[in-house]
Amino acid sequence: MLWRMLPSRLLGRLYFLFFIVVFEYSFCFAGRGPIPSHLQLSGNTVVPYGVIPLFACMVFLIFGHSRLKALQERIPFSRLWFAGHLICLAVVASFTMAAHGYAKFSWLLFDTFSYTKSAFYILATVLLALAFIPPRSWKGAIRATGQLWILSTIAGVAGCVLSTLVVSIWRATSTTQTGMIQRITVRAVKMILDLFTPDAFADPATFLIGTPRYSVIIAGGCSGVEGFGLVLLFTSLWLWVYRKETRFPQALMLIPCSLVCSWLMNILRLSALILIASAGGSDAFTVGFHAQFGWIAFVAIALGFSLAIQKISWMHKAPAFARTTVERTPEGRFVEVTGVSMGLGESSEHRGESPAIRAYLIPLLAILVVASASKLVSGYFDWLYPLRFVAAAVALFYFWPELKKLDWRFGWFGAVLGAGVFLMWIAPVWWTHQHAASPLGAELAALSPTARWAWIAFRVAAAVVTVPVVEELAFRGYLARRLVSREFDSVSFTAMTALAVALSSAVFGLEHMKDLMDWQHLILGTLAGLAFAAALRWRGRMGDAVAAHAISNLLLAAWVLGLGDWAQW
Amino acid sequence: MKSLLRNLIVVMGLALGISSVANALVFGRHVGPEIDPSLAVGALTLLAGSLAVLNVRRKK
Repeated sequence: MLWRMLPSRLLGRLYFLFFIVVFEYSFCFAGRGPIPSHLQLSGNTVVPYGVIPLFACMVFLIFGHSRLKALQERIPFSRLWFAGHLICLAVVASFTMAAHGYAKFSWLLFDTFSYTKSAFYILATVLLALAFIPPRSWKGAIRATGQLWILSTIAGVAGCVLSTLVVSIWRATSTTQTGMIQRITVRAVKMILDLFTPDAFADPATFLIGTPRYSVIIAGGCSGVEGFGLVLLFTSLWLWVYRKETRFPQALMLIPCSLVCSWLMNILRLSALILIASAGGSDAFTVGFHAQFGWIAFVAIALGFSLAIQKISWMHKAPAFARTTVERTPEGRFVEVTGVSMGLGESSEHRGESPAIRAYLIPLLAILVVASASKLVSGYFDWLYPLRFVAAAVALFYFWPELKKLDWRFGWFGAVLGAGVFLMWIAPVWWTHQHAASPLGAELAALSPTARWAWIAFRVAAAVVTVPVVEELAFRGYLARRLVSREFDSVSFTAMTALAVALSSAVFGLEHMKDLMDWQHLILGTLAGLAFAAALRWRGRMGDAVAAHAISNLLLAAWVLGLGDWAQW
Repeated sequence: MKSLLRNLIVVMGLALGISSVANALVFGRHVGPEIDPSLAVGALTLLAGSLAVLNVRRKK
């Protein structure tokens, strides 16, 4: 039964509940009809009360983690409450379908539509919470964490108030002419442009900046606030997770440093964009540069922050850590003995990831780095795609001495499963006969025949050879086993738990989404991940999973080239 | 006192961070955003993978 796969302890159940609630909220409200103002996570003219429970739960879980972890009682699952939850969710789904114009449900669209929908949603969430964690365990959790629930509620309200403050700093509206960061950003970009071109102009009132040949309006989201949000989120979480190894308040100084770096990188991004476009750069190039640079800057700042904390001795301290060993008593019984040790050298020996991680993850990271760089200069058509094949091939060749220890043999089961995954993947297109529009075909047709066929050859080679190997190593070889044990390379492929397989497959599904609302590829990718994991578990051979993945990609390539359905790539 | 300061700053950081990101996702849908949500999964995978690889324990 599915509920037997649920975490059995309180802490795991709480985290699982939190993620399910966030997922259901996204499914019920994000981009699907009107979001009731009292449930919004953010807002412009209304106060976004929805952020209060979300933020309160996060604070409760983060700060109560160690106390909740100590509660080792097994928690039952209530099927009755869960059935009630599903019924309420079905009602919410009916309202959503009504909002989408399904005639059968149009009678549900009355004046109190949003309030009725949100009432059922809240009831569904409460029933889900009771199904996962019975009232007795909720009482135990509150008792174990003292007054944390009060502090969490206060923090939730503070987050709500801060949210409206952030919006007022960020956005300039007709009633509150704020947009403070936008104005500062416009002036800073103008200063840089003046160094390179004499005809740069800026209008702080409309946030318009550029040259006579190319100009942009710096919207609220372009002013650097999105980067601030991500950097604040990352640095705050990092400091909390590694609080025992970090010196306070010294490490807190890195937060403003990271924010300044983020803002400067955004200034650099805007300045470079205007200068390149003014010098005659194509629209495609500016689109790719515009969209990709922010993420590259964020990843660089986040990595720099974590390295600075780890490497600067003024910022980190040698942690005291508990080491548990199993020893035999004189009576012949086995007992766990816990001792506390100090010293960075010793801690680094016992903590951290297994060195085998490099062979499993670096090929995927090589593809991601090259993909980011190529999208930066490619725009709509990724003409540098062949570099991904080369990067993956070089990384696999480098780590082959380590990787050849795996069993790469494969049998008929993998091939059959791969064909099944292909059929599942194209089923929606086959069923609806609707081929999504894609500019890829037209872009390829514009190339010379040699360039076109060379690009297609590398694209097929990557899909059939390097991508299956790299993704199976990362998602099944590393992630699914890492969710079982830190020493992932000592976990047999046949010993992967159902929960680990499900979670790693969900991440695999996320990787195949084309945008944040692409539910179809999320579901298909997750199912494909489950199928490849099944191939791996069948005989515990990596070769079976890779064969299944390669066969499905090969058939998909044949489909794309045979029917010209370029959207599948 | 030091612990209170640390926790307060972490909570403030989380509050501001979540608020900004949530606002960006809902209202930040403009042409050429600073942080493009459609590229989030690849970038976060790169970050998480890089952090995991950098966190490899050293051999004696």
